[in-house]
Amino acid sequence: MHDEIHRWSDELARDPSSLVFLQLAEALRRQGQLDVALKIALRGVERHAKHVEAHDLLARIAVDQRDFDRACAAWETVLSLQPEHVGAMKGLGYVHFQQRRLTDAEHYLSRAAQAGGGSDVAAALDAVRRSSGGVEVPAVDGVPLSDAHRLFADLLVDEGQTAILLDANGYVLAGLYLDEEGHDVAQEIGAQLSGISEEVVRSTRHLDLGEWRSIVFETGAAVVAMTPATENSLLVVAASRATPLGLLRRLLDRCADRARAWLSGAGR
Amino acid sequence: MTSPFSTVLDVLTRQRGVRASLIVSEQDGLVVDSNLRFGQDGARVAALAASMYRKARLSATAAHLGGVAFLQLDAERGRICAVGGRSDLVIVVVSDASANVGLIRVELLKALESLA
Repeated sequence: MHDEIHRWSDELARDPSSLVFLQLAEALRRQGQLDVALKIALRGVERHAKHVEAHDLLARIAVDQRDFDRACAAWETVLSLQPEHVGAMKGLGYVHFQQRRLTDAEHYLSRAAQAGGGSDVAAALDAVRRSSGGVEVPAVDGVPLSDAHRLFADLLVDEGQTAILLDANGYVLAGLYLDEEGHDVAQEIGAQLSGISEEVVRSTRHLDLGEWRSIVFETGAAVVAMTPATENSLLVVAASRATPLGLLRRLLDRCADRARAWLSGAGR
Repeated sequence: MTSPFSTVLDVLTRQRGVRASLIVSEQDGLVVDSNLRFGQDGARVAALAASMYRKARLSATAAHLGGVAFLQLDAERGRICAVGGRSDLVIVVVSDASANVGLIRVELLKALESLA
């Protein structure tokens, strides 16, 4: 990726009107270099004001920076250029939801669902409708649970099953990890597992084992499984020791699908 | 030259699909003894296995789940399995993706018993 970024940078320097800025800014966004990605995307949008994907990219970078106003404006431009752009509808649904403008969020997600947005849009729409319906919000350790906390709730059917989604730094993105006393220990687990994904990727490549798929470990009380949900996130699922490993793997796959869909709705 | 671990490692490496077996120090990720097929990077395997095992153990402690017995990493073209928890030593096997992991697990747990 590093070499490609260099190559794209050189190409853009040689020809500032090249559309290679799309790949370059996206790669930088994925690497977390958001300020540089934003500069490149803004310059690209200036030169290619009618290019739908340029505005979409700008919106996604803005979401990563939590600049929801800029993201909103960019996705509205996308819809003005291409009214059936599902990604922009999903993005606007997400941004409005983050800003607690639930009616607007529902409006855009409904449009995305009608335009064939898929199961992740349906799940997001369901979450918005539950939020706007005044459903009582449960709490753990006195902290009210958000939709992110409950992301995997309907998939975890047996007692002792729990799931969390971590970012590359070990911070919790979604889910809960309740210990036997009902306390959420997700942050502590995230801290201990921080960096494992990166290390495994590096080593498995060096050892010619290819891409890693999962790590499973057995403890006295539980079986814990983890898998990369996306390039920069790690899904961790635990179940009681009595859970057959095949069943745990199915649960891991289903939670990973949910996590990917959710992350896709959260700005991709 | 034989070491106290040679027999254990020989038994593990004889399993179908096993490319390497190692005894590793969890604390520093160094190889204590190994039985490697040509081309296997024992030092890299040891460092990765020790690190994964340590992170698993610490996260299990954070979740009050008890000690870690068996750990398995699945990748496209191979697997790394490890057992430990009795001391600083972790027994590690690198195998093909198609190897019988159930059998490897049993042999690893037996090997752990024999080291106790």
